[in-house]
This record gives sequence, structure tokens and C-alpha cells, in this order.
Amino acid sequence: MPSPTITTLLEGHRSQPHQLIEALQDVQKHYGYISEDSMRSISDELGVSLMEVYSVASFYKAFSLQPRGKNIIAVCTGTACHVRGAKMVLNQAISQIGAEPGEISKDGLFTIEHVNCLGACALGPVVTENESVHHHMDPGKLRKLIKSLKKGDKEGASHV
Amino acid sequence: MTQEVTVNIDGAFIRAPKGSTVLDAALGAGICIPHLCRVPYLEDIGACRLCIVEHIENGRSKITTSCTLLVQEGMRILSNTDRIRKLRRNIAELLVTEAPNSRAIQDIALRCGVVETRYPFRNSDCVLCGRCVRACTGHFGEKAIGFVGRGKDRRVESPFNLYSELCNECGRCIDLCPMTIVPCDGNMKPGEGRLCGNCESKMLTEEAAQGYCIGCYMGDGFQCERSITNTL
Repeated sequence: MPSPTITTLLEGHRSQPHQLIEALQDVQKHYGYISEDSMRSISDELGVSLMEVYSVASFYKAFSLQPRGKNIIAVCTGTACHVRGAKMVLNQAISQIGAEPGEISKDGLFTIEHVNCLGACALGPVVTENESVHHHMDPGKLRKLIKSLKKGDKEGASHV
Repeated sequence: MTQEVTVNIDGAFIRAPKGSTVLDAALGAGICIPHLCRVPYLEDIGACRLCIVEHIENGRSKITTSCTLLVQEGMRILSNTDRIRKLRRNIAELLVTEAPNSRAIQDIALRCGVVETRYPFRNSDCVLCGRCVRACTGHFGEKAIGFVGRGKDRRVESPFNLYSELCNECGRCIDLCPMTIVPCDGNMKPGEGRLCGNCESKMLTEEAAQGYCIGCYMGDGFQCERSITNTL
């Protein structure tokens, strides 16, 4: 499936083993995750062994090897956020979406992640939804956020 | 002709070819520094940390792995100080609690003076020494297995955990694995991990004497050069 476009994605990295991470980043950005097929293509195009590609992709947390939802909700579970109840927020997110952290929800819209610190401890508990940061989260606010995201997706384009 | 340098290891002045490691120089001169992850013909990565030594430079001592430290003219190395012995015993203790089912690791632990363990036995079957991985990547370059993940999830696997078509079944990874030599009493079940201590009578356990070669037998592929030349 990804074959025709992945070749164009890897255009600038061909035969340059040192650009492995850049290539993986491009694939991740384009597909949202790195599939087995794309790893094989990267290995062929860049001239890096498949083992090396797999080692690097599995080493960095920034690369996801499983498909991810359209919206990525990252709940901060760092010390400050934990003290202010990040656990409750995370549990709420899991029960709302019906998928464990790292998994994709059944409708393909959401993936929850927990991160260790977002660097905004004074605003905790912090949740990021795609790229935007939400401060002082509680289960109620999170429920509303998820609801509005679902609604936005149903209505179509408007929500980015 | 290869250039030679003189290094001072434990007070002995040793001539070693430039570009060789301190561990090689010490083993060549019969100073036994315990080691696990080193394979003579493979690149060293300093994974097991057993071969730590004190490198004295400008009056300050720095602890580092001797397998990744290259010899330099006028170097001063101490391989058997109290500090080193304490650290090395700790490392060996951690290794043996992780994987008590290996004769090689049990022998190394005994050799490093581990008499009791303070940690629960894990009975894991890998200590991530990387011998198999380096055998598969370094010299011959099949690259069928490698390290996957990181931190506590790090493990040795083939890509996607499937049988790799690159593997030509040479078996070198298995030959080099310390886990293939089981303790004399046979395998310990999970929860039954213990220090075997069977070879205690054969080993010299006195701490201060650890710098001397006692002709220990660690299983194929684990002897230092000295014991190989002795048997030849």
C-alpha cells in the first residue's frame, strides 16, 4: 500500500545511511506511524540493514510502530502533574476512548499516550491534544475536550 | 613494524602494540582482569563492565572499562585495588542474580568474590552482553539479530521478532552465548536461583590474590589468552 508514495518520501535520503533518523521522521510524519513495510523500504533505499532500522525505530519513543489515531492525546504523568491528579485524568481518558495508552481506539480517532514531563509543571495537570496544550485538566474538562474532538471530526474539516 | 608503547599495569611495565586495548595488554602479560563481553576478534563495546580498571592520570584516578581503553605511552593502570574489587563484585553480583543459569557467569561471580547476593534472582536468560549481536554484525555482517528497545525493555531480537532471512544458521551467536553453558547441577528453575559455588575448591577466592591467573575454566570462548596458550 505505501509503496508509491514512500519512494517519493525517501527521495532526498536515498543511499545516505546517516539520514536514517530523518527518513524515519518523514515516514512517521506522513503516515503517523512506521509500518513494517516502510521499514523494509527504508532499509532498501538507504542501504542500511533492516536490523539497524528496526533497532533505531524501536529505541526512540518518538517513533511509533503501531498505527495511531487521528488525534493524539498526551497526558503528562510527571511528578507535578501526578501530584495534582494526572492519574485520574489518564483513567478518564482511557475509559472515554476505550483503548489503553499506545493503542488506537476502535473508531480510529484517538490514541492516548502518557509522557513524563511537558515542561509546564506550574500549569499541571497538563494534557496536549495534537499540538495544543491544555492546562489545569480534570476529568470533566477532558471529557468535554474529547467530546468536542469527536464532534469536530463528525462535522468534517473545520478541526485541525 | 608495529609501534610499541610501555604501560604500567599494577606496577608491571608492559610493552604493547599501539592501538591495542589495556585489557589485551594485561591479559597478554598474565594479569587477569575478569571479563565477559569481550570476544578477541570482535569490536569491544564495554557492555558487561566487569573489566573496569583505575586509570591514573595527572594524579587523579578515573574508573573505566579496560576493553575500550587504548594503550598510551606512560599510562598508569591499577586493576586490583580495593575500590575496583568492590565495584567489580557489585557488577558480578548483579550479573549473577540476573542470570544464575550460566556456568560462565557463576564462575565469574565466584572469581570476583561474590559470596552472597543482596538482590532477588531473576533467572533471566540474557544479560545483554552483546556477544551474539556483535558476532552477527561485526566481522561477517549478516545483521540478522540486534538490540531492540531501550532501558529495561532492551532485548536481543531479529527484526519484527520473525525469523530473519539474512540468518545463514552459522550458529556463531549460540557458540558465543554465556547462557549455553549450564551450571554443573543443571538448570535452576525460576525462583530456585542460587549461587552454585561448586567450583569453590578449585578457585582462589582470597580477595587480594585476584590479580593472579589461576587457570580458571569458564567454558569455551571465555578463557583468556593465557589459558588458551597453556592448553595448546
